[in-house]
Amino acid sequence: MAPILEVRGLRKHFGGVTAVADATLDLHEGELLSIIGPNGAGKTTLFNLISGLDLPDAGSVRLFGQDATGAPPERLAGLGMARTFQHGRVFGNLSVLDNVLVGAHSRLRAVKPAVPIIGPLLEFALAAIRPAAVRAEEAALRADAIRILSVFGDRLIPRLDHPAFSLSYANRRRVEIARALALHPRLLLLDEPTAGMNQTETVEMQEVVADLKRSGLTILLIEHKLEMVMRLSDRVIVMDNGNRIAEGLPQEVRRDPAVIEAYLGHRATGGAAAGAAVEPAP
Amino acid sequence: MLGAWFDYTVNGFVIGNIYALLAVGLALIYGVANLVNFAHGSVYVVGAYVGWAAITYLGTPLPVTLLCVVVVCALVGVGIERLGLRPLHGASRIAPLLATIGIALVLDQVVQLIFSPDPRAVPMQVPDWRITLGGGTIGALDLLIAGIGLTSAAVLYGFLRFTKLGWAVRATAQDSDAAKQMGVDTDRVNLVVFAIASALSGISGVLVGMYYNQINPAMSFEATLKGIVALIIGGLGNVPGAIGGSLILGLTESYGIALFGTSYRNLFAFVLLIAMLVWRPNGLFAARRSLPPEPMTGTFIARSRPLKVPSWAVAVVILLAALLPLLDAPYLLQIGANSLMYAMLALSLTLVAGTVGQVSLGHAALLAIGGYASGLLALDAGWPVAVAIPAAGLITAALGTLLVFPAFRLTGHYVSIATLGIGEIVSLVILNWTGLTRGAIGLGGIPPLEVFGYDLGSVQGTYWLCLVVLVLLALLQVRLLNSHLGRSWRAIRDDSVAARSYGVSGDRYKALAFGYGGFAAGISGAITAHAYSYINHETFGATISILALTMVILGGLGNVVGAVLGATLLIALPEAFRFLAEYRILIYGIVLLLLIRFRPQGLMGTV
Amino acid sequence: MSAPLLRLEAINSFYGPVQVHFDLSLVVEAGQIVCLLGGNASGKSTSMKTVLGLQRPGSGKVWFDGADITGLPTPRIIRSGIGSVPEARRLFGAMTVRENLLMGAYTRSDKPGIAADEDRVLGLFPRLRERLKQRAGTMSGGEQQMLAMARALMGRPKLICMDEPTMGLSPLFVDRVLELIQAINREGVTIFMVEQNASLALGIAHYGYVLQTGRIALEGPAAALLRDPRIRDAYLGGAAA
Repeated sequence: MAPILEVRGLRKHFGGVTAVADATLDLHEGELLSIIGPNGAGKTTLFNLISGLDLPDAGSVRLFGQDATGAPPERLAGLGMARTFQHGRVFGNLSVLDNVLVGAHSRLRAVKPAVPIIGPLLEFALAAIRPAAVRAEEAALRADAIRILSVFGDRLIPRLDHPAFSLSYANRRRVEIARALALHPRLLLLDEPTAGMNQTETVEMQEVVADLKRSGLTILLIEHKLEMVMRLSDRVIVMDNGNRIAEGLPQEVRRDPAVIEAYLGHRATGGAAAGAAVEPAP
Repeated sequence: MLGAWFDYTVNGFVIGNIYALLAVGLALIYGVANLVNFAHGSVYVVGAYVGWAAITYLGTPLPVTLLCVVVVCALVGVGIERLGLRPLHGASRIAPLLATIGIALVLDQVVQLIFSPDPRAVPMQVPDWRITLGGGTIGALDLLIAGIGLTSAAVLYGFLRFTKLGWAVRATAQDSDAAKQMGVDTDRVNLVVFAIASALSGISGVLVGMYYNQINPAMSFEATLKGIVALIIGGLGNVPGAIGGSLILGLTESYGIALFGTSYRNLFAFVLLIAMLVWRPNGLFAARRSLPPEPMTGTFIARSRPLKVPSWAVAVVILLAALLPLLDAPYLLQIGANSLMYAMLALSLTLVAGTVGQVSLGHAALLAIGGYASGLLALDAGWPVAVAIPAAGLITAALGTLLVFPAFRLTGHYVSIATLGIGEIVSLVILNWTGLTRGAIGLGGIPPLEVFGYDLGSVQGTYWLCLVVLVLLALLQVRLLNSHLGRSWRAIRDDSVAARSYGVSGDRYKALAFGYGGFAAGISGAITAHAYSYINHETFGATISILALTMVILGGLGNVVGAVLGATLLIALPEAFRFLAEYRILIYGIVLLLLIRFRPQGLMGTV
Repeated sequence: MSAPLLRLEAINSFYGPVQVHFDLSLVVEAGQIVCLLGGNASGKSTSMKTVLGLQRPGSGKVWFDGADITGLPTPRIIRSGIGSVPEARRLFGAMTVRENLLMGAYTRSDKPGIAADEDRVLGLFPRLRERLKQRAGTMSGGEQQMLAMARALMGRPKLICMDEPTMGLSPLFVDRVLELIQAINREGVTIFMVEQNASLALGIAHYGYVLQTGRIALEGPAAALLRDPRIRDAYLGGAAA
């Protein structure tokens, strides 16, 4: 079966610096693939290239069997790709609920007609007149959004009307993930979902991602916390300096000396430190 | 023939030099403060008047005149930075931009109050000889202006390249945080840059005064615009680019005049501006494209929780407003009708600038389109007024959206500059398309308001019509804001990149916002045209755009109730203080500045 | 024992409504290399900003060289003897290498001293000498990192704050940068370094702190931290396997 996402030879330079040198990966349905690597390895740039926020200098991206190289993000959203951002780009002045509802935007029936001029005018008319069908759809989306938000227990449900700027860092990250889920994605890109979270919150988020995976969702994950990566991933890609330096099953990657060197520090190669940091405590 | 072209070239170079003195300062300021200084032309006017006053009252020779101008304008620049802008560090992103608009209003009015709005002639301080060269001529003043332009450029180059403070300016422009970490006092760098830029702007003003032998306070607006056009041609923040851009602009204008006549001069400048914004937004001399940085969430407008007005209170206010005509106070009603017409414009602008975050500085152009469309439909096509007005609304919606369409992919300052330019283009087209619009004569004898035979030409009739239309528009706007459209609009404003990643296409929703905004503003312009019975290309000028923006900020960006409240307050209050009539615009400027500084969320809160 | 060169005392800082530091206290002894470790958004960059005066803490104090520098403007903090190697280097890309170096000496006015230091620094970073007239932005990432360090040295600081100096560098350059940090330290400059890469930073440091969601989770001499199994839990996150 064809992969959901095929990335071939993606490359991107910024000024004198190569952010992504030659990225190639396949992601199959239902799989959770993690990308790890030190800061500045090019992981987020790779996400931006895949999700249409930046144009690659070379290479190609195929999504759900279609060519999606350099496609605008709106189109990718329409195809069923959702992503979160490294620092939690929520809509600050929108309420928690509205943030999640924006995630469902591409599912709205009013948004669908892509005919120029007529489509937008129809959408405008539907928003102004709001016939029963539109009201029913909106109500269903709201119910769906609340169901999604309840994935995070009572972290967000009591704050439905709060503007997102008033939320804690961890709650913003949760809102972002809820917003992504509201798109009902077939492919989810998560950029460090646990950044800035403490131990308890990290474990909680790990459970959420594990549940998503169990439900069959295909996930591409950037994460620094190795524990989480090792536990959740089907496969792991290790990046350093814009290059893929290793790929394989979590256990293989964990033992790969190149990975230990790149990710945990060159001085530590083979030393006690690497052992302490990489191998689980006995 | 060749001689004439030589003259046009000389003229273009001279004007280019004058623009360069303006644009270089704008580029420096943009570099260190990341801000397009809309008060720049006002400093230029200050310079012109200081020069005029020095020559007229003190009889200063040229070098002393220039020295006076440099000193006073540098001080004004320092004042702008220190008092107007520095307190806004850490405020929302649009705050400094709006502040420079407020400062421009205040400076222009102060100059006007001191020197009167009448034009003055600046005495010529250079000998009146001309050398003949290849059929054309060059005068002493031409050489002086070119000399000052070149000298300023050379001095500035030396300063930036070889002095420590100059390095600090360049370092701050590239990365002010990093400059601070080298020990650069960036606040001081900002002050120095504002002083230098303002001094150059002042010199430009006095030279223009001598070149055209005439100055007036109203010339500030055009100077700001021309400086910005030159800046955009050269690339924002690019100092050598600004000089190149200025010369290109000066020559384009000069040759344009040669080919098509004087009244097209500004049209060339603004069409050039829009073309640059569309095809080369980074300027002719740069080829950099970068991803917008991740914004802090919700930094575009001031964060606030809007005040909720219960619907019964709104209903009571509407009822009271509907009963106002029973008081039999025609003067009060006239003010009321005016407020209502402005409120429609404010509704439109609060949607575009507040809800979608596209700070339009040319919104009055939509009034002009609506007014002319309805007036011409009634006059020339003989349409009934009641049909012409909504038709004008639709025409404005379509035309307005179409005109701003090229600017949709722009963000922040660029949107404001583009809308300002588009506004000017509309007014120039109206002036020059004589066949359709009757040009400078204006549109007279526009039929009075009537709806299917009911004459609404009386004050009461106008008032009631405006009230009904406003209430309908406001209700529709609230309804839209509560739908998925409102959500999408606000998402684009808060973070357009994240919005696009969820399928909210910027183009589509900006078009819908400008479409609805154009409709509301077009209706307002149409009603105004029928109520006044006469309009011309200056009826809906840039001052109205700025006034509308002040209303919207006063009420709270994006806030429907706030827009109506802001319009009512700003139209009605000056009437209550009629003895202050002379200071009206000055007061608007001060209100705008105080709001931005102390209550950026406005009276009712941003939505 | 003498007073520490840099001391953060019960810092609470906020980013909008969000608290970033909770009673953060740490000490950097003169002459040492001290590293502050932690994952993304753990608050380590904010610690650096707090020291440099780029972010004002909600409460708490920053002491440097015996003086309270809390809330002082950044330029004054730099003048008091702190050099900075910012995250992602933050060079003046359109200026030449030499101009960047001289910007590093911005707080000084002793021309002969600056010239001497320029020579000394270029001795430490010979690669930069070949590129003095080149624009900084056109150099490779590793060269840019060297310039950033050289630039900080030009101010003759007592302390250099480095924010992720090895980020995005190729292995070859990482080793070189680490050696240079040690060389700078041997010349008597104290180093306070924020790093994500734990074992790498601890390999050259004297003392380390591990920051987790705004609190110090672990601290100790670098050698001891390197052997401490708890570092994995604290720093790499997640419960024990």
